[in-house]
Amino acid sequence: MRSKAPALRDRRFRITLEDLNGWAFIAVAMAVFIVMTVYPVASAVITSFQNYKPFGAEWVQFDNYKTALTNDLFYKAIRNTAVYTLITVPLSLVIAFGVAVMILPFKKKTQSVFKSLYYIPAVASGVAMSVVWLWLYDSSPSGLFNQLLAFLHLPTQNWLSSSKTAMLSLILMSLLSGQGSSIIIYIAALMGIDNTYFEAAELDGATFFQKLRYIVVPLCKPTTLFLLVTGIINSFQVFMNAYMMTGGGPDNNTTMIGLLIFNNAFVYGKYGLACAQAIMLAIVIAALTAVQFKVAGDDVEY
Amino acid sequence: MKKFFALLLSLCMILGLAACGGNNDQPNSTPDTPKQDAPAPAEGDKTPDPEPAAQEDTIVIMAPPVTGDYAELLAGWIDGFQKEYPHLKVEVISTAWDDHSSKLSTMALSGEAPDIAEVSYGAIGTYVEMGVAMDVKPYLPEGALEDYDQNALDYMTLDNTLYGLPLYLTIQALGGNRQMMTDAGVDVDKVQAEGWTYEEFLKAIETGTKGDTYGFVFANAAVATGDFVSIFGVGAGITANFTKDLKYAYTSENMKTLLSSVETMVSSGWMPNYAVEAGQRLVMLETGNAMITGKAMPLFENNINKNNAGIATGEAVEGSVEVEYAFLPVPTMEGVTESCFGTVDGMIMLRNNNSTEEHLKNVGLFLNYICSGQRAADTVNQLLLACVCQSGRDAQAGADLGQDPRNAEASTRCIGIVQAPPTGITSEQAANAKTLMDETIIPKFQALLAGETTAEAMYDEVCSKAVALFGADGCETGFIK
Repeated sequence: MRSKAPALRDRRFRITLEDLNGWAFIAVAMAVFIVMTVYPVASAVITSFQNYKPFGAEWVQFDNYKTALTNDLFYKAIRNTAVYTLITVPLSLVIAFGVAVMILPFKKKTQSVFKSLYYIPAVASGVAMSVVWLWLYDSSPSGLFNQLLAFLHLPTQNWLSSSKTAMLSLILMSLLSGQGSSIIIYIAALMGIDNTYFEAAELDGATFFQKLRYIVVPLCKPTTLFLLVTGIINSFQVFMNAYMMTGGGPDNNTTMIGLLIFNNAFVYGKYGLACAQAIMLAIVIAALTAVQFKVAGDDVEY
Repeated sequence: MKKFFALLLSLCMILGLAACGGNNDQPNSTPDTPKQDAPAPAEGDKTPDPEPAAQEDTIVIMAPPVTGDYAELLAGWIDGFQKEYPHLKVEVISTAWDDHSSKLSTMALSGEAPDIAEVSYGAIGTYVEMGVAMDVKPYLPEGALEDYDQNALDYMTLDNTLYGLPLYLTIQALGGNRQMMTDAGVDVDKVQAEGWTYEEFLKAIETGTKGDTYGFVFANAAVATGDFVSIFGVGAGITANFTKDLKYAYTSENMKTLLSSVETMVSSGWMPNYAVEAGQRLVMLETGNAMITGKAMPLFENNINKNNAGIATGEAVEGSVEVEYAFLPVPTMEGVTESCFGTVDGMIMLRNNNSTEEHLKNVGLFLNYICSGQRAADTVNQLLLACVCQSGRDAQAGADLGQDPRNAEASTRCIGIVQAPPTGITSEQAANAKTLMDETIIPKFQALLAGETTAEAMYDEVCSKAVALFGADGCETGFIK
């Protein structure tokens, strides 16, 4: 045994030409990953312990974390983001799944038309989309949504400037304009289900909803989990909607954590505090993702 | 062979990436000049030679469209400057108003700030706190400061350190449709010449509210709410974030009065109960849907006249009516000395990785050039304002601005009653005041305008946050006269 150990060690650490080839092939990707991901994350962690100034940062230990955790606005932003996520992500999945199921029976060309139509908002820039939605949410009586309400003899709304409707407005905007990618992913998943399952179900006399319940939903579970995880991650990082539409108002009722971090970094110059908040956000997202995989991902393989 | 090519290509890419990341040379530095350490900002005791070094240098300026054609004007002035100083090159980073602050902050935080940037005086504290704002005094040509009005220089001063030069002092108040106001029984000439009380203002907007026309429309959507607080705050005696004895002013009795008055105004129905975008309020004035609007500046006379001219040609806003614009002072509340909200915008000098003593002297030279003389006059003339430096006023003399003389007089009068912020405010106080304004006062004020909080609840919230930031002794609780 004693004589075998060094031999094993030698073999383990011997670099072969094959190893070099492998490293060479992933070197570019590794370099990009290190420069674009590892370095910024490491830098953010370091900065979160500093009173950052471009010329002479000071170490302040955990002061930025303490400041963040004792700031009411930080909790309000987390709460706002959580509310936004809890409503938009499940509803988005239901809408995307529903639309995908409705598109599937069509011929390929018709499917493509619908897929393109639903995907168009994803191609448009967030700023352009926000401008259109600002116009739709115009709070004056001549605003489009307000005209619709007036037509239905309902009171007009101060859409983006009332705390009763501001968050709802952002959620509505997200639900109506952000499903293109999810729909396409769901359609791909649906098309991957073998037809024999449906034929067998039909022979057994299964209804449409029974086929949906016992065949489609279970077989789409990996896709649903993927969309759920990425949806929650994206939703927690939401920034553009609040920045462009409400600026976080009224009364900070639409201040999302992403907007708060942006403001601290680039409006108030509190870069260390912003990094501390970003690190905490990353921890929250990682924890949520782990929980999702634990709860829903036991029988899903990636 | 395939493996060899794959390895070779990968190696090339890695080397390429490494080469991209390893270039630390400053684009503007000369290779034969040893780079000195960048001096620490705000060191007022240095007395370097004000004469510019005759070595080639590049100065970077970041400017938003201060006037409609500021970028073109700037290009012309730079040509003139470079003829006089051929060894100096000036590069311009043009920004839009929307992204100017965030772009500047981002560059400053990365140590790549432009040498000169346009900022409003309220934002100076943020750059001082970042450690990038520079004391300009040591780097200006000798005697340059004597050209500028002390009142305007005070705006660019924090903690007794001058961080830039003023470009113009702009006033923000109200504007109205002269004919509609006269019909509502308002003596507009008297208001322009002598000011008015808050009660007179309320009566006017009540009478002026008829059918589709609101007596008063203020742009109050999203961040524009801050203007409402600032402009009407001055009418309530809060002329700056801090009182003369450097106590935070928004915790004073005046704030309580202001908030109660706004609450009354909002519930009156004499102004819209919905959010009005910045551009929308001007359209409402042009279409006769608003009698008085805010915020307004003397410059709006040009916009209104242009729209009037467009009625015949079909280029005006749809539904426009002929409007005779009247620039109006903000109403003054009882027991308060009349004032007007004024803010100075100027050019500040910023530290970056390229900041050597010689470079900063060149920057100081260009900074003074751009803020004075004909350049200042050309800028200010378009804004229908008065220059804040003697050389600018000399260049401005005799210029016909095409302004209604009554508006011109009202504007001059309002500029005359603007009170500069007290001297001695620290950068920390200024930065905290900005945070408090953005994170508490504006959001709560939005809720007040939407009828979702009361004046008293908002006042209590502001006081509690202010005491936490400035301490009880640092907050004014009495009445500011």
